[in-house]
Amino acid sequence: MSKINRVVITDYDLVTSYGLGINPLWDGLLLNKSALGRLDRFSTKQFLSSNAAVVSKLDYNKSESLVMQMLAPVIRKNISSIPDDALLILASTVGEIDLLEKDVLASRAQKSKTSPQAFLQKIEKLAKLKKPGIFVSCACASSSTAIAQGASLIRQGREDCVLIVAADSVNEFVFSGFSALMALDKDKARPFDKNRSGLSLGEAAGFVLLMSKDRAKREKRNMPVEVLGWGLSCDANHMTGPARDGNGLIRALTRALKLAKISQTDIGCISAHGTGTLYNDAMELKAFKQVFKNLPLPIYSVKGGTGHTLGSAGLLETLVALKALKEKIVPLTVGLENIDEQAIGWADISPRELKKDIVVINNCGFGGINAVLVIKR
Amino acid sequence: MRKYKICGRGWVKKGACGFGNKGPVSQEYTDLRSMYAQLKEKGIFKFTVENFGRFDQPSKLAVITIALALHDAGLIYTKGKLQDVGIIGTSIAGSTEANLAYFKDYVEAGRTLGRGNLFIYTLASSPLAEAAIHFGLAGPLLFLGYGKNQKQNILEQAKFMIKTKEAKAMLAVELSENEAAGYFIQGR
Repeated sequence: MSKINRVVITDYDLVTSYGLGINPLWDGLLLNKSALGRLDRFSTKQFLSSNAAVVSKLDYNKSESLVMQMLAPVIRKNISSIPDDALLILASTVGEIDLLEKDVLASRAQKSKTSPQAFLQKIEKLAKLKKPGIFVSCACASSSTAIAQGASLIRQGREDCVLIVAADSVNEFVFSGFSALMALDKDKARPFDKNRSGLSLGEAAGFVLLMSKDRAKREKRNMPVEVLGWGLSCDANHMTGPARDGNGLIRALTRALKLAKISQTDIGCISAHGTGTLYNDAMELKAFKQVFKNLPLPIYSVKGGTGHTLGSAGLLETLVALKALKEKIVPLTVGLENIDEQAIGWADISPRELKKDIVVINNCGFGGINAVLVIKR
Repeated sequence: MRKYKICGRGWVKKGACGFGNKGPVSQEYTDLRSMYAQLKEKGIFKFTVENFGRFDQPSKLAVITIALALHDAGLIYTKGKLQDVGIIGTSIAGSTEANLAYFKDYVEAGRTLGRGNLFIYTLASSPLAEAAIHFGLAGPLLFLGYGKNQKQNILEQAKFMIKTKEAKAMLAVELSENEAAGYFIQGR
């Protein structure tokens, strides 16, 4: 039987609408401060909402895409921590889509500019990596799936260092699409609230470096968390809506807990996908109640603060979970005022003490894609 | 040591499609809609694909190719029944064509409202999701883009995911503008 390697996160960083790094994001969430505000990147008067959470000082008119504007400073700042033999897994939904927008608006639609390959090559070059990378796109479960795939490669000994990079931006393309699907809250997303009425969009970009525990020890790296398990599944039910009974998420959760060899009593809290749409939040609660049959577990969603950051949501939420484990605090759910009856005992308007060393992170996406991660301090 | 076998192959080229090592099922198809209709008549599709006419081109290619691969493998699927089969797909362009179609339409309509039925195909994973819904594929679903060796990479990845028990079997689909190849892989 081949050796099973333990997988740790050693290095990480990100930029969100709260600023550069995990600390401004964490502080904002604990203060119940939302980064959602009026958007002025493009006209929103025709859409359901005018609010989004954006990273400051991005310039839509630059030739560099919004995701590259977010990623470049984050990667450059941390370049000395990123080994050049790391395998890159880049996660995004629509990547450099603002370049395509500009091409269409200028009547010069050139395909190559926005291909996954072009984006991947830019990140390989930016991070100064030797190996060819992989682009992963699984809707809003993209970066959690990327982390799961990277962890799996390390666990089985195929790689000993994987760089997960994730980015998605707020742009007219995505905003108009979600508006057309009637998925946006007119004001700000309120996950698990009884009056919730949709999601709000946000943007973020960042990275996590996954390493085998053996290599991390050899290189004397910090090891704030271990990636214990993961589970991937598909509802195989609907292109935009989740399976109402949560069966896909139940399968992903069950698989992740089995791989991590843990039970409900080991879990401190759950970082829910919690978009603020009626169906997503109801589906997640159904799945939690089916899998965690004993007592309610503390859950939270960051999306009332950060907005829904699409393909980068899983990475952002993994880093918030990492911080929660470090601080031993379950963050509150930003924007939550009147807790949905189904969420009573699960979601809360105040931070709580995190009593266990394990956090479960959920992400769900269009096409019924589910990804669950289990991390341990 | 566990072995992995490609138990079913399906392919679509402009004007023709087939499965296994046999020649084309027919070369008379003029477009993917008529190709689908004829394959349904031949029993290669076990039941109607809902909204097939509204699918974008990569989704039509993916669903037809997978039907052929599953037919070659002799895998039985029934409406509404989920199977522990995952699906991975790859292409050079991802969803670029769908992205252009959506945004051009939105701009031409005066930048007031996008069309939801075009927007849902602006994810590289959407063709795989359409296939998962029709065939009841409940395992992992992911789009993977590689700089080169697309086919070799997705076949290796599919085998790896069976080995690590992500799913009992996997479908691997390689898509390009007018062509597709699908493989049904199992461990033994």
